[in-house]
Amino acid sequence: MISVKNLTKIYQVHIRQANLLKDIFFRTYKDKAALQNASFSIGENELVGFIGPNGAGKTTTLKILAGILYPTSGTVSVLGTVPFEKNHAFLQQIAFIMGQRNQLIWDLPASDTFALQKEIYSIKDHMYKKQVEMLGGLLKCDHLFDKPVKTLSMGERMKMELISGLLHKPRLIFFDEPTIGLDIFSQEIIRNFIKSYQSESRATIILTSHYLEDVKQLAKRLIIIDKGSIVYDGSMNNIIEQYSKIKLLTVVLDKTVNQMEIRAVAPPFKYKYPKVVYKVKKEELPEKMKLVVKYLPFSDLTVEDASIEEIIKQFFKEKTWE
Amino acid sequence: MNTLVKQFRLFTLFSRFALRTTLQARMGIVFFMLGKIFRFVFIFALLAFIFSKTKTLKGYSFEQTAVFFLTYNIIDSVSQVLFREVYRFRYMVVSGTFDMVLLKPFHPFIKVLVGGVDLLDLVLVIPYIILLIIAAFHISAITFGSVLLYILLIINSLLFASAFHICVLSMGLIFTEVDHAIMIYRDVTGLARMPMDIYKEPVRSFFTFVIPVGLMMSIPVKAFMNILVWPVIFYAFFSSWVLLWGSIVFWKRALKKYQSWGG
Repeated sequence: MISVKNLTKIYQVHIRQANLLKDIFFRTYKDKAALQNASFSIGENELVGFIGPNGAGKTTTLKILAGILYPTSGTVSVLGTVPFEKNHAFLQQIAFIMGQRNQLIWDLPASDTFALQKEIYSIKDHMYKKQVEMLGGLLKCDHLFDKPVKTLSMGERMKMELISGLLHKPRLIFFDEPTIGLDIFSQEIIRNFIKSYQSESRATIILTSHYLEDVKQLAKRLIIIDKGSIVYDGSMNNIIEQYSKIKLLTVVLDKTVNQMEIRAVAPPFKYKYPKVVYKVKKEELPEKMKLVVKYLPFSDLTVEDASIEEIIKQFFKEKTWE
Repeated sequence: MNTLVKQFRLFTLFSRFALRTTLQARMGIVFFMLGKIFRFVFIFALLAFIFSKTKTLKGYSFEQTAVFFLTYNIIDSVSQVLFREVYRFRYMVVSGTFDMVLLKPFHPFIKVLVGGVDLLDLVLVIPYIILLIIAAFHISAITFGSVLLYILLIINSLLFASAFHICVLSMGLIFTEVDHAIMIYRDVTGLARMPMDIYKEPVRSFFTFVIPVGLMMSIPVKAFMNILVWPVIFYAFFSSWVLLWGSIVFWKRALKKYQSWGG
């Protein structure tokens, strides 16, 4: 479905000089490589997490795949076409939903934007009605369709954006930070929606997010980009296994104990009675658990992987050392 | 054919939504209309004052000069009706909303060029046309053929206006600069409120044949009055198409250079 080979995108950036006259008449530019020889391919029905630090080249990649930007060099094929030729048949099959952009008509109800989308994508009446009902039902927001968009909260607007973007049943969906700025409840609703929608529609989804929990919960495959280059392309489980060197050992104490007994296991990462949390290296876990049993009276004991944020931080730390 | 029908339906839908959005701010409409009416009345009064002191302006009577002024207003108003969305283009580029337009399966001009039809300006075109008909009754040289040519040349003027606005959109893509370009366009076309004959050479020729303001505003009126030669008429039709073609080439180049900084 998507094939990218040696994709490069270079921006020319103006370098400001100290002298104003020189800056106006003898302007200098610097080449900034947003993407450098990136290569990957994505098949049908995949849900791929696409992550990286700020300025890594994530959004540039998505925009090239969607045809908004022209690459400097390399080849791109999406759904069998070259995206930046902006073939209408290609555009009919994709959707790009950005958490930070609003494509709803601000002063009018969302239903008007839906009607516009219906016309743009030539959606038949019965299909349109079915999609609106299905999407509105999944997101539980039918009652918001006739309210002016400007009166909706951010979470409600995001729901309308999702419905508007998916009315035409695209085969390929780009989600660029869909949960940004939303509260934790709304984030969960959006995540669950994306999961359900993908399993029903079998669309291919590329998801970028700085909330790594989105990626962990939704994507089975992860592509990590840094400074314009692909640094990881593999399964989510693989990166968790490889880079999750730390486990979180949480002990729920039965009764209060003194600090020495807590420290006898290891210096605690967090302690607020009755919970003590230790950060433990994977290979030391059996030994630490024995110490917990020996020194601490506990009613519950759990072992968790470090958060996905910690894992990705560890990944980048090790990449820096290489 | 199907594509054209679809594009037209989208255009009417965008226009309907633009009107509904405009009607949200009712006081704004009142002030906008009052401002336009005041400006028109003021300049018309100035014209009447000039003609209270003289019988002709460069050989043109009051009625003939009024036709020049009213034709300018009709072309200018219709351009603003059609191309109001161009004035909002900078915001679209800076906010990143333009990316969403590029992702849709229709030509971006349907949205960014003619997607914000401002029907308030259309309301004012009606009195301009009525006054023009009244003035025209006082001009003896008008024939059916000259009226037809006049209408064709007004449509031709809208092609000039389209070419210019497409160039403004292209500049907006590369430099995010739209407002000053539009102001320059409004100031330069404003030179043609009166017959271009009032200017001395080479200014008159420069603003007729090089920067085609005279071709847009004065030539249709001269055709109306049957005082135009055919080479100039052909030149007017030819140059509008050349400029339109050039503006579209500029737009395609600008799209390739577009860096999508917005948002």
